[in-house]
Amino acid sequence: WQKVLYERQPFPDNYVDQRFLEELRKNVHARRYRYRAVVFQSGAVVQQLCSVCVFVVTWWYMDAGMLSPQGLFGAALVSSLLGYVLFDAVDSGAGRRESGRTRWADLKSTLVFAAFTYGFSPVLKTLTESISTDTIYAMSALMLLGHLIFFDYGANAAIVSSTLSLNMAIFASVCLASRLPRSLHAFVMVTFAMQIFALWPMLQKKLKAQTPRCYVGVTVLFALAALAGLATVSSVGAVLFASLLLAISCLCPYCLIRLQQLKDNIHGPWDEAEIKEDLSRFLM
Amino acid sequence: MVLKVFFPSCCSSAESGILIGRWISEQNSAVILAVVHFPFIPAQVKQYLSEVQRVTKVSVSVLGSWSNSKQEKEESLSEFLEDLGTIFSHEPWIQISKEGDSNFWSCSTLQKHSNNPKEEEIILVYYDQRKVMLSHLHPPLDTAVSTDHQADDASKLAAIFDTVAKSKILFMTDRYDDGPIKLTHWQSDGVEASIIVELMKQASVPACMLLTFLLSLISGICRSRVLKFWPLSFLWSKLSTCEQLGHRLQHLQVISSDKKAQNQTQLMRKANIFVSLLVDVALGILLMSWLYRKNRIGHLADTLIPVADHVAEELQDLLQWLMGAPAGLKMNRALDQVLGRFFLYHIHLWISYIHLMSPFIEMILWYVGLSACLGLTVALCILSDIIALLTFHIYCFYVYGARLYCLKIYGLSSLWRLFRGKKWNVLRQRVDSCSYDLDQLFIGTLLFTILLFLLPTTALYYLVFTLLRLLVVIVQGLIHLLVDLIDSLPLYSIILRLCRSYRLAAGVKFRVLEQQDGKPLRLLMQINPLSYGSVVQTYRLPTYSCYPKDTWTSLCKKLFLGELIYPWKHKGEKQD
Repeated sequence: WQKVLYERQPFPDNYVDQRFLEELRKNVHARRYRYRAVVFQSGAVVQQLCSVCVFVVTWWYMDAGMLSPQGLFGAALVSSLLGYVLFDAVDSGAGRRESGRTRWADLKSTLVFAAFTYGFSPVLKTLTESISTDTIYAMSALMLLGHLIFFDYGANAAIVSSTLSLNMAIFASVCLASRLPRSLHAFVMVTFAMQIFALWPMLQKKLKAQTPRCYVGVTVLFALAALAGLATVSSVGAVLFASLLLAISCLCPYCLIRLQQLKDNIHGPWDEAEIKEDLSRFLM
Repeated sequence: MVLKVFFPSCCSSAESGILIGRWISEQNSAVILAVVHFPFIPAQVKQYLSEVQRVTKVSVSVLGSWSNSKQEKEESLSEFLEDLGTIFSHEPWIQISKEGDSNFWSCSTLQKHSNNPKEEEIILVYYDQRKVMLSHLHPPLDTAVSTDHQADDASKLAAIFDTVAKSKILFMTDRYDDGPIKLTHWQSDGVEASIIVELMKQASVPACMLLTFLLSLISGICRSRVLKFWPLSFLWSKLSTCEQLGHRLQHLQVISSDKKAQNQTQLMRKANIFVSLLVDVALGILLMSWLYRKNRIGHLADTLIPVADHVAEELQDLLQWLMGAPAGLKMNRALDQVLGRFFLYHIHLWISYIHLMSPFIEMILWYVGLSACLGLTVALCILSDIIALLTFHIYCFYVYGARLYCLKIYGLSSLWRLFRGKKWNVLRQRVDSCSYDLDQLFIGTLLFTILLFLLPTTALYYLVFTLLRLLVVIVQGLIHLLVDLIDSLPLYSIILRLCRSYRLAAGVKFRVLEQQDGKPLRLLMQINPLSYGSVVQTYRLPTYSCYPKDTWTSLCKKLFLGELIYPWKHKGEKQD
C-alpha cells in the first residue's frame, strides 16, 4: 500500500494502514522555558504597571496641592536629561547612528512638545469644566487600562498597537490634567505623561537589550518607588499593588512553566501544508 | 375579414352620388370623406381627385356609390350606379343605399375581378367629421403597460384620424362655390370662420415683428459684457427674480418667433405659453391694483421694519439662552461665550443696517411693486428675494455654524484614524496602517481630545441655526413651488379639454345603433377625451429648475456632515 491517490491500488480510497500513526509527533514547537528568563521578561509588564501607578500618584499629589508644578517640572527635566545622556551612553551612540536621527531633530521635537502643550494648556484647563468628575475618572481609567492592554511588551500578536496605546495614555493624561487647578499644572502634567509613557519605555527597551543586569536593578528600584509613592496615598492600595506585582513577576511565570508541561500538541501528516522555505528566490 | 366603412354622419342626408375617400387595404377598411353629387363628368372628378392627392399626400379615390332615394327604388338608378363601378375601377366597389326614412341601410360590395364572389360582412361606422378632423389623437402614455396589440390598435386608429385631418383641403369648398363638382361634407353648408380670428391673425404678424425686435434689443442688453463680470453674474444667478425674468423672456421669444409650429405638440406649447403668460400678467396687474390702493405699500413698509426688529430680538433671546446652559446640556463655557458674543455682535450689526435702511424701505417697495405688472410670478420671485435679503443674518449664522461644524467633523474623523494608528490612503481609496512620529502622535491626540470635548457646543449652535435656515428655506421653497406651478401649468390645454373635449382624444368608443340580420351593423364612433391628469402630464411646460435635486438621504448626510446646502434655493424639491 502506498499513501498516494494517483495510482490504482487494491484498497478502497479511505483505507488506513497500520503505519499511519508512526508519523505522529508531539509538542514539536513547544518550548521549554526557564524560570529566571520568564521572570526577567515579565519585567516589562511590571515596569508599565509601575509607570501607570507613578503617573496616577503624581496626579494625586498635584491635585491635592502637595506637589508644586515647578518642583515636578524640575525633577522631570533633570531625569529627562539624565535619561537622554544614558540613552546614548548605553550603546555608545550605535542606535543613533543606525536610525540617522540628529540632535537637532530631538531638540525640534522637544520644542514642538513644549510649545504646543504650553499653548494649549489654558484650553485644556477649561476643556472639561462642565463634565462631571466621575465621568472623567471613568474615562481616564478606561484609557489607562487600554494603554496597558495594547502596549508593546515584545509579544508578536495582532492586538499589539503601540500607537493606539500611546494615544490612549495621552488622552487619559489630558483628561486628568484638565481637572487640575491651574493651567501650569495641566502643562506640567501633560509633559510628565509624555516623559513617562513615551520616553521612559524607549530607554527601558535599550537598557533591556544592552545591560540586562542593570535593567533588573532599575525595574526593582522603580517598582519600589511606585510602591512607596502609593503607600503614602493608600496603604491598602499599596498592599494590593505589591501583591499584583509579585503575582505577575513570580506566580505567573511559575504557572506558565507548570502548565507548559501539560501541553499535548500532536502533529502528523494530516496537518495542513506549511511553507518553511524562503520564498524570496521565487519572487525574483 | 370584416369590411369596415367609416361614413361621415353629415353625409347621411346627402343626395345620391359617388363616395370618395381613402381605402386602407391593411385594415380592410374604407374612410369615406365626401359624397360627389350628380351630375358630374368622370374625367373632371378624376382630375380633381388627383389634384387633391397631390396637395394632401393622401391617396383619395372613388370608393363606391351612394344612393339616397326618398321614393321607391328606381331600377335604372341602381343599374347606373353599378355601371359607374366600371368607370371608376375600384376593388371592392362599395354600394351604400338609404331607402326612404328607414333606419336600415343596405350596403353591398362588388368584387369584379375576384373569382369567388362570397358575401363579405360589412360594418358601417359613423363618425363626426368635424370632431375627428379637429381632434388630436394621443398615443397611450404608459407604453410599458400597453401590449403590442394595443399599440397596433392605436396605430390603426391614428391612420383614420390622420386621413381625415390631412384632407382639410377637401372640406374647403362649400355648395356656393362655382365648380364642376359638388361635394357634401361637414362644411358643405358654408365654411366656418370668425372675423375676430381673421383680424387677429392679420394683426399678429406686425405685433410679433415688433415684439421680436424689442426682445432682441433686451436680450442684447442682457448679454452685454458689462453685466457678465464676476460679482454681477454671481449675483444674477442667485436672484430668483432674474431667473424668472430670463425664463419669461425665453417664453416671449418662443411666442414671437415667426417660425411656424411644425406639429401639434409645438403648437400646443406655444398656445400654453401664451395663455400662461396672459394669466400671469393679469394676476400680476390684479395684485398691483390691490397693492396701490389705500396706501397699502406704506402700511407694508411700516410693518416690515418692526417685524425684522422683532426677528432680531428673538434671535438675541435665543443666543442668550444658548450662552447659558441650554436644555441642561454640558457645553464648554468658554467656547460658548465666544460664539455667543460673536453672533450677538453680528445681530447688532444687522439691526443697525436695518435702521439705516428704514427711511428708504417704502420707496424701494413702491418701485419694486411696479414690477408686478410683469406678472404674478415675477412679483412672487421678488418676494422670495426680499425674504432672502431680510434673513441674511440667519444665512450668515448658518454658514458660520456649518463651516465650524464641518471643520470639526472632518478633523475628528482624520484624527480618529491617527488615534488608531491608521491613515487614509488617497491612492488606494482605503484606510491603511501607518507609523507616525512621536510628535505627530502627541499633537494629533491633543487636538483630538480638544475637538472631541468642544464638539457638543459647536454641534448645538449648528443645529439651532440649521433649523432656522431650514425654516426660511421652506418658506422660499413654497413660493418657488407656486411660481413653478404657474409657470408649468398648461392652461390652454386644460381650457381646451374643458370646453372642446374632443380636441384632445385619448381613443374612441363605439355605440351600436342598429343590428339586424341581413343588414350591415351600424356603429357610432365617439371620441374619448383625454383625462385631465394626462393632459397636464403631456403638455406640462418645462421650468427652469436649477436647484440641485438632492434625495432625502443625501440631504440628511449633507446636514450631518455640515456641508452647505445650496444657498437660497429649496432643496427638498420633489419631482412632480
